[in-house]
Amino acid sequence: MRTYLSVFRLRRRMETQYRGAMIGGIICQVMFGLILIALYRALYQNKPQAMPVGHVVTYVWLQQAFFRMLLASDPDLLDKIRTGGIAYDLCRPVNLYAFYYVRIMAQKITGSLMRAVPMLILAALLPEGWGISLPDSLPGLLLSLPALLLGLFCVTALENITMAFTMRTLDPRGIQALLNLLMMTLSGNILPLTLFPDSWQRVITLLPYAQLLDAPIRLYTGDVPPAAAGRILLIQALWTAALTGLGYWLWQRHQRRLVLQGG
Amino acid sequence: MNTIRLYLHSMRMLLKCQLEYPVSFFLQALAQLVMEGGEMMAVILIIDRFDRLNQWETGDLFFFFGIMSVTFYLTECFGRGLTGNFPSLIRTGQLDTLLTRPRGVLTQILCSAVDPRRITCIAVGTAALVIGCRLSHVQWTLPKAAAFAEAILFGCMLILALFMIEAIFMIYSVKSVELVNALSYGGRSACEYPIDIYPRPLRILFTAVAPFALVLHVPSAYILEKPLYGWPSWTAFVCPLAGAVFFGLIYVVFRKAMTHYRSTGS
Amino acid sequence: MKYIQVNGLRKTFTVRKKREKGRLLREREAVPALQDISFQIDRGELVGYIGPNGAGKSTTVKILSGILTPDSGEVLVEGRIPWKDRREHARRIGVVFGQRMQLWWDVPILDSYDLLKEIYLLPDADYRSRLKELTEALQLGSLLRTPLRQLSLGQRMRAELCGSLLHRPGLLFLDEPSIGLDAVSKLALRDFLKWENREHGTTVLLTTHDMEDVAALCSRVMVLGHGKKLYDGDLPTLLSRYDTVRTVTVRFEQPDILPELPGAAGISREGDLVRVEYSPQMIPTPDILQGLQQAGTIRELTIQPENIDYLIASMYREMEL
Repeated sequence: MRTYLSVFRLRRRMETQYRGAMIGGIICQVMFGLILIALYRALYQNKPQAMPVGHVVTYVWLQQAFFRMLLASDPDLLDKIRTGGIAYDLCRPVNLYAFYYVRIMAQKITGSLMRAVPMLILAALLPEGWGISLPDSLPGLLLSLPALLLGLFCVTALENITMAFTMRTLDPRGIQALLNLLMMTLSGNILPLTLFPDSWQRVITLLPYAQLLDAPIRLYTGDVPPAAAGRILLIQALWTAALTGLGYWLWQRHQRRLVLQGG
Repeated sequence: MNTIRLYLHSMRMLLKCQLEYPVSFFLQALAQLVMEGGEMMAVILIIDRFDRLNQWETGDLFFFFGIMSVTFYLTECFGRGLTGNFPSLIRTGQLDTLLTRPRGVLTQILCSAVDPRRITCIAVGTAALVIGCRLSHVQWTLPKAAAFAEAILFGCMLILALFMIEAIFMIYSVKSVELVNALSYGGRSACEYPIDIYPRPLRILFTAVAPFALVLHVPSAYILEKPLYGWPSWTAFVCPLAGAVFFGLIYVVFRKAMTHYRSTGS
Repeated sequence: MKYIQVNGLRKTFTVRKKREKGRLLREREAVPALQDISFQIDRGELVGYIGPNGAGKSTTVKILSGILTPDSGEVLVEGRIPWKDRREHARRIGVVFGQRMQLWWDVPILDSYDLLKEIYLLPDADYRSRLKELTEALQLGSLLRTPLRQLSLGQRMRAELCGSLLHRPGLLFLDEPSIGLDAVSKLALRDFLKWENREHGTTVLLTTHDMEDVAALCSRVMVLGHGKKLYDGDLPTLLSRYDTVRTVTVRFEQPDILPELPGAAGISREGDLVRVEYSPQMIPTPDILQGLQQAGTIRELTIQPENIDYLIASMYREMEL
């Protein structure tokens, strides 16, 4: 356990070193948020939708604030895979699945929290219609927190599986780009899932990508009433269990194969 | 003339290099196709839900998306030396080598890389343009074609100049490159849609600071025969020049910055 | 006017220090890389430029080749200021950085040369005759159609040299050219540089840690330390200052002679070999030889100066580098 905690701490320290990059990143993210909101506001003026524009604005800000939870770029890790430095990790006396699980999660949490807090404060200060609105209800807020946590477990498990796959290819950049696109699109970052055609939404919201941000945001804005939260949490839990199990099995097999080959 | 010959020669050679690894090339080109296809899908979904945007109809929106996409990816394809390769030029010290050769630095930077994978993105953008023209029943005339060519050409210069700002930051070894991304990639995202839908601050930003609106939207609106802000048609030919002016200004700063270049390594 | 004139060259780098706790901005620190460097080089000279890591050698070369702009001071190469007249200057110089490749990795080296021809705008006939000359001198003929990535390190260095000399530069900068090369490649490199210098009068400025290269090639050395020029002259004179221990090994006809030499630092016998250590400053070499001849009939004798790297190391120590 101590090993995994120290991995966590190390990632956090590395993240805090690039303060300049972080501030630049926040400004960039805010900029994108403003552009998207301006676009949706213009669209709503022409044709108002069932879901109020305030919900879309809140959706956009929460997506932007927790962007790093979706795409926790870990160039070290990708480089390691490409240069073969990953072989060192394989020699470590740790459970590889847990090792990478912790590493991915640490990257997601540290990267996003340090950005999310200043961004959310900023978004709360913006004028009505541009800034983030308060949660629909207290139960909604309280339920969105465990949903976010479960979503985090779910997506970390998912990424750990894709890691296991990309490790086998020589040049992971192409695949990585594709996976990033899937993540951005199906999690609602490019376009809020709430604006997808209704028939699509029924399917997309069931996929693991939607669990991380879309599900908790819908609870926060009240799109999904607290009474229906049980269904969301159940879906999240099922995905988490299934993906963790699959990932664990994959890594076990992977590790055995690598050991057989002699690293 | 010599510069163009050098550029073409370099491109030939770089393509030869890339085709040494055909499988990787093919896969990455495919990945690019899917990515840009995804961007376009977002536009289609938005149009599907909202039908129109003020005066702009479906076809117009496709056109705006298409012209931005084509311009941006043309730049990323042929200007990769600046848009993608520059950090590695600095890190590996290749920039030192370029400086010891009797050609312009910017020329050589542009000659240092090409990204033919973007061809698939350009294709998606072209498709959007064609669909847009069909749906909006664009009647092509010679002046319209000229305005279009001008928009693409000066649009590429504008985008190159934005990436040049990034390069200037790097020469001074400033790490906050993402700040510049807010302007270049932010500009692309915002100006995939016509500028007049945005509130004033964003309009000013993308008209007066990074003049995407002048370079791409004024001629586009002219081609679609829905003049932006009701401006007269000659503006469609004059406004894109802002791209060249912007490029010129940034280039002067770039030249200045190069004298502060401090090289790396031993 | 001399071929290269350098006067009062200064360059300072500002380094941003690590941010201390509780401070908003990082402090900046000025690190002087060059402090008042002056020298002159004649056309056709082969100059070795040595000094420990971080002494400012590369900075000098980068200024002289037009990559960096100095803070103050004057540099004229053939009457041109490198960083102001960069392009014209670049036409006349060749640069080889030992650890950096300027040729393209994935294409045959001939393709790289063709592109260099385009970059330097070389006339066809001129390019072809020069390429022929260089490929012969560097024995590259059979490798021209091979991609760079498939060449050995020695072959790559030769290919690089060819590339940087195609435009017939009058001045060649070499930065650690022999790093990582095997003995054969190293000797070939030296021979080639001597040939190029003799044949075309090319001026060469060689930056290196390899003292053997300097000894074999350079008629003149400059020593740099802490951004200052500490020595400028020929290598033997420099070495004689630090040449404190030489060893004479003698084999006498009669096996059991142990000569007495007043002033020698140490005399010892191993089997039938007698080893005498002495300092040439304390006792001149002829006196030692005379003493040995008086002691008995000499069958064999070798004099060994101290290892050149030791000499340089003791020199750096004395100069407190």
